[in-house]
Amino acid sequence: MGKLKLTLFTLAMFCFMQMYGQTSQISGKVTDELGRAIPGVSVKLKGTSMGVSTDSQGMFLIKGPNPSVLILSGIGFRSSEIVYNGQRNIVVVLTEDQQSLNEVVVTALGVKRDKRNLTYSSQEVKGDQITQSKEPNLVNALAGKVSGVQITSSSGTPGSSSRIVIRGANSLYGNNEALMVIDGIPVNNDETGNLNSGPGTNRIADLDPNIIESINVLKGGAATALYGSDGAKGVIIITTKAGSQNKKPTLSFSSSLSMEEPLLPEIQNKYSLGSNGVYFDGVTQKTSTSWGAQMDTLKINGLPAKVYDQSSLFFKTGKTYTNTLGISGGGAFSSYYLSFTNLTQDGTVPSTSFDRNTLFGKFSTQIVKDLNITFSLNYANTKNRRLPEGYALESPVWTIFTAPVSYDLQPSVNADGTQRLYRFSRNNPYWVLDNISNTSIVNRFLPTFTADYKVADWLTITERFGADVFVEQGKYNELLGSVSNPNGRIVNNNTNFRQYNNDFLINANKTFGDFNVEALFGNNMISTYSENSYANGLGITIPGFNNIGSTSTVKFSEGSYLTRKIGFYLQSNIDYKRFLILSLTGRYDGTSVLARDNSFYPYGSAATSFIFSNFFSKGLSNVMNFGKLRFSYSTVGNASIGPYSLLTPYESQTVRNISFPYQGQSGFLLSGTLSDPNLKNERINEFEVGLETGFFRNRLGLELTYFDKKTKNGIIPSVALAPSTGFNSTSVNSASMQNRGFEALLNAKPVVTENFSWDLTFNFSRIRNKVLSIYKDINQVGNGFTFIFVNQPYGVIYGTRYARNAAGKLLTDDNGLPYSADEQGIVGDINPDWMAGIVNNFKYKQFTMSFAFDMKKGGDIQNNVDGYGYFYGTPKVTEDRGSRVVDGINATTGQPNAVAVLGQAYYQRLNSILESVIQDGTYVKLRNLSLGYNLNPRWLKKTSFKNLGLQVTGRNLWIYAPHFTGGDPEVSSFGSSNGAQGIYSFSTPTSRSVDFTLKLTL
Amino acid sequence: MKKIYFILGVALMVAVGGCKKYIDVNYDPNRPIDVKESLMLSPIEMLISQNINASGDANLSVVLQQYLQVMALNQVAPNFGTYQMYNVDMDGDWNNVYVRTLNNLNLLKAKALTNGNSKYSAIAKILTAYTLGYATDAWGDIPYSKAFLGVEVPNPTYDSQQQIYTEIQSLLDDGIADIASDAGLPPGSDDYIYGGDMAKWKALAYTLKARYYMHLTKAPGTTAVAQAQLALTALTNGMQSNSDDAKIAFSGAAGAENPWQQNFLPGTTFVLANTFVDGFAARKDPRLSKMVSPAVQTGLYTGRQIGLDEIGSLESYSIPANFYAGADANNYLVNYTEALFLKAEATLIISGATEAQPIYQDGIRQHMTKVGLGTADINTYLGSRGTLTSANALGLIMEEKSIANFLNPENYTDWRRTGFPVLTKVKNALSEIPRRVLYPNSEITANPQPQQTAKITDRLWWDVDK
Repeated sequence: MGKLKLTLFTLAMFCFMQMYGQTSQISGKVTDELGRAIPGVSVKLKGTSMGVSTDSQGMFLIKGPNPSVLILSGIGFRSSEIVYNGQRNIVVVLTEDQQSLNEVVVTALGVKRDKRNLTYSSQEVKGDQITQSKEPNLVNALAGKVSGVQITSSSGTPGSSSRIVIRGANSLYGNNEALMVIDGIPVNNDETGNLNSGPGTNRIADLDPNIIESINVLKGGAATALYGSDGAKGVIIITTKAGSQNKKPTLSFSSSLSMEEPLLPEIQNKYSLGSNGVYFDGVTQKTSTSWGAQMDTLKINGLPAKVYDQSSLFFKTGKTYTNTLGISGGGAFSSYYLSFTNLTQDGTVPSTSFDRNTLFGKFSTQIVKDLNITFSLNYANTKNRRLPEGYALESPVWTIFTAPVSYDLQPSVNADGTQRLYRFSRNNPYWVLDNISNTSIVNRFLPTFTADYKVADWLTITERFGADVFVEQGKYNELLGSVSNPNGRIVNNNTNFRQYNNDFLINANKTFGDFNVEALFGNNMISTYSENSYANGLGITIPGFNNIGSTSTVKFSEGSYLTRKIGFYLQSNIDYKRFLILSLTGRYDGTSVLARDNSFYPYGSAATSFIFSNFFSKGLSNVMNFGKLRFSYSTVGNASIGPYSLLTPYESQTVRNISFPYQGQSGFLLSGTLSDPNLKNERINEFEVGLETGFFRNRLGLELTYFDKKTKNGIIPSVALAPSTGFNSTSVNSASMQNRGFEALLNAKPVVTENFSWDLTFNFSRIRNKVLSIYKDINQVGNGFTFIFVNQPYGVIYGTRYARNAAGKLLTDDNGLPYSADEQGIVGDINPDWMAGIVNNFKYKQFTMSFAFDMKKGGDIQNNVDGYGYFYGTPKVTEDRGSRVVDGINATTGQPNAVAVLGQAYYQRLNSILESVIQDGTYVKLRNLSLGYNLNPRWLKKTSFKNLGLQVTGRNLWIYAPHFTGGDPEVSSFGSSNGAQGIYSFSTPTSRSVDFTLKLTL
Repeated sequence: MKKIYFILGVALMVAVGGCKKYIDVNYDPNRPIDVKESLMLSPIEMLISQNINASGDANLSVVLQQYLQVMALNQVAPNFGTYQMYNVDMDGDWNNVYVRTLNNLNLLKAKALTNGNSKYSAIAKILTAYTLGYATDAWGDIPYSKAFLGVEVPNPTYDSQQQIYTEIQSLLDDGIADIASDAGLPPGSDDYIYGGDMAKWKALAYTLKARYYMHLTKAPGTTAVAQAQLALTALTNGMQSNSDDAKIAFSGAAGAENPWQQNFLPGTTFVLANTFVDGFAARKDPRLSKMVSPAVQTGLYTGRQIGLDEIGSLESYSIPANFYAGADANNYLVNYTEALFLKAEATLIISGATEAQPIYQDGIRQHMTKVGLGTADINTYLGSRGTLTSANALGLIMEEKSIANFLNPENYTDWRRTGFPVLTKVKNALSEIPRRVLYPNSEITANPQPQQTAKITDRLWWDVDK
């Protein structure tokens, strides 16, 4: 068809040029598919500005050459082009544009289904929306776009991980991040690549966003049940681009440059190093605090003191270059797509970088009639250089954010080669740049093979095999003279990962009278193997020679695991007269990690859709053209436990600084975790109800979803036991947790004309999580930086809080200072109240503009940059350091506090009270603003270019976070794991960036 | 149609059978399910040295040194030094004691008994007694008789401190008996403390017996004289020279450092407290330069006052000298000199100051010799310390004992028992000087017991105010 159109068009153009000047009266009528006249349809002569509209009878009359091409476009209909070559009374039938509601989407196991018929919520994001966001990491590209999805980035270091959680956490300690599936193959998204403190890279970052055709987000159990236990956390279905048959080669090239500026916390620059207002020079008098003299009146050696803005001296403009070259096309029986992308990113912290080379090829061919095979290979070579972050002694960001403005941190070494320090116990950040490195190199292969055999027109057999193989080489160097490891340290860490996935599916689709039955039967096998070798070398003996073989003590350890899973699944969709759809899914899974007697477990879902708009009168249909109600219930099993967790083994010991083997002795002691040999799967039951509507021929679409899910028999691999039992934890099957939520998605096209169009998408989600039980009487367990409490949302911050009287009024001690209560308590909840996002796209002639805002309401953050900063006197707020009377009640006298204290005493006291640095993480963000221009195709006619476009994109241009004093309220400093959320602590700042992109198509 | 389901059903069942085999791969390639005694002894001894004696992954031992005003943190008040403590601060210590050390000692004991390796069971019992003594002197009533049973007894009740003391003596007696039976495999280089020299283990066991008898000189239902007599009897088989010291040696190479060196690395901001450092000058004690390093910045011997409102320059303060806290220093767990001072104290109780004098002086002499001082220095110092009288004897014995037991948690028990060396509470103190520590949060949340309401100013069973 495409070819035919092209031929006709070319022919028409040819004629147009040859016979220009002959004008005729062209008349005709425009109707819909039912033959009804459509008024107000725009009829234009292609290549000119001449145009008319159809009248109330759908009739039009326009003058034009013979032959010529007419373009007809009407709101709610697909536009159409027809060739006029003298025919009379042309009748043009326009088809309704059902856009999003008639979309075909890729669902579980790569099965394509009509979105109209789905019985559960899913949301699609197109590939160009992904690339437009200019995020090297796919997960970040989804931020703010999908309802029910929470994305948290970790740090601004290039290549840093981001966490993606769909519909809240299900598991107390298991992986809560969505399963990533590329072209039907589940892939690894573990966080790896950091051998010191701070986040690593989530491995989906190896994927080049440019090769993505679309992403479909499957949220609930009914949508994901076919993926078995791994899908219980929601599934991100990634479909890559493909060539198309009978298409000449199309070459596309895009090049972009992005420049990043760090989003910094608010730091004071008015007071010097020192204490109690006295200046310390950092040479003869050293200290860590900036409670010194006022800089504007301070004289050093008789000269006015110079202010060193440590952040602006240290951070540089980050630069990201992305170059993508793609070629696609196809012959009569085959198609191909090839793509190469190079991403080179230099971080805002010197010496940090992320370089990614990705090569992707996909080839499809029809071997014999009815047998299609597709083979694709994705190769990624990723190199990430990062530095320790957080409050590790090696973290340079810590020492920059807390450095005094009166001290020049450079040079970083003294004449004798030792570090130049204004304080003890921390490395000079510039020394770190030169002497500490943390490198991860990943080579990754993702081959997939799919064969579809159409046995009959109603029966298809599919065999799909895919692998995910990568090798990661990690190396950490900390050279001689570091404060934390004066003798130097070298770590070599190598990981081999291989995962094989095989699906065999039989898919039948047959209509019986008013019923259409689609049935799917399949088998899945997945095998995952990982092997890690880790060598820790202490004591560098040859300065400048960073080979672990030359260190004086080497501790080597190896670890490997193998897990296997097998599943059988059955799904049937029964469609009655296209308005009532019943969908049933069953799966029977076996997993190697559970006890042999419990290793197999069944689960499934039942769902139904009722398309009530089929019964609407014509008048009502003109307003509301689509309406669907859907209900689903699912029960999904999940084995969220690692391999080898059923027995209590002995473990090779590291006792503080001593690692075994030590002095020729191996050392093994019993694990502190008592395993339960009878562990079984946990279960997630979910009820979902949804309403999908379309108005004004889908100019407006609204989708509402409510879900209620409960995790039962939740596995806790290490619930606390009293240490007096001999163990500090045991694995149990007793947790339960609940997530209830509401999601809304609004699509609108307020303006659609030929020259100008505007469409927008708004999404909203509100999720309420509650931990219902942990284990027996235990109502509290730790979880990394946060805690889990019964009857609280998953992830609360627990620690020291202000002492208060019964009326909740702050208490002060006799010195006039607030102090911490005897008992610690819950001081914050990291879960947001709700999240929302809006994406707007405008098009005017050749110009495009889009912007995306998103918002998070609530969600507490532990701001450790302030927390530690209060001690050092570095946060902006400590600029106000004069005498004050704390508003409180004297605990001894019961009278209002009247004792004045200085800022230094006050803030240094707050430093010991965690509650003082819990900040509400509410924000509104202009995440993305993009302007584009595509050259008018007419101007390109004489060139070999099909398309040439320019685009400028700004990210994070504006952030409004009224209660948060750090740089970016969206981060969690220590990576994407469950326990690392809700903390802002000296991670490399994320960036505000401007990106320029040039796109060419040949 | 039914037939199809039947066939599918059968196929499924066959497939599931094969599948069971496919997924039967859950065999741990990384961690063994059983190991022999010698592989357990080394890490247990290392835990006692690095973690229990020197607070690795925990706080208790360095907290006690702050209560004793030996160590000070270069941070503003409040902190441990000004008697601030939360239950959670003791979680790491309880984990070291119960999960990592005592539970494994319990396993080692059982394993050695099964295998007839009585030398290992002797060592396991002696180290269990040592660790229980450390724990009960910090927490009083502690779990033991109902402990180490995993989920079978998830809420072990606590034994009274009196029961624990009985248990300590019986463990030591059993250990001594096991040594006498001399059966099974001999420990060797896996025993970092004595290299398998069972005579030394026996001397240690007797010395510990004396130590724990002397702890109870004021305990309800005991008399000082009876406890002293028991101690003296035990000490006849106790340690006989400095070479009997229970200690672990370190090469000082990277990854093989003394734990106190680790405790005083700049990152910890720990330095010595002025109370301790200034004591040397007051006594004109020549051990100053052997035990204390001058401040890097000033070259002076300066300790930091605990409880200050501001931090000082880290290098303006002293840290311990190499003998105790060099990377290659020995970590002394139980000293021969302790045996001498125990004997001096017991003799003082039974026979008076004059009888105690030569033993007390021998204690000082042995310690001064150990840290590397010559006879002339020793004699001058002994002369300057004068003669024990009934009025000053206990104070002098305990003061000298605390120096010879530098950095040892035993000093905190001695201060509570005797009030020596005399301490006054620090600046910005949040309470009186603590007489015990809090139970850990990990026990309170998982195993609530009535004893857990104890405050740090409460007294233990043996700590009678008389």
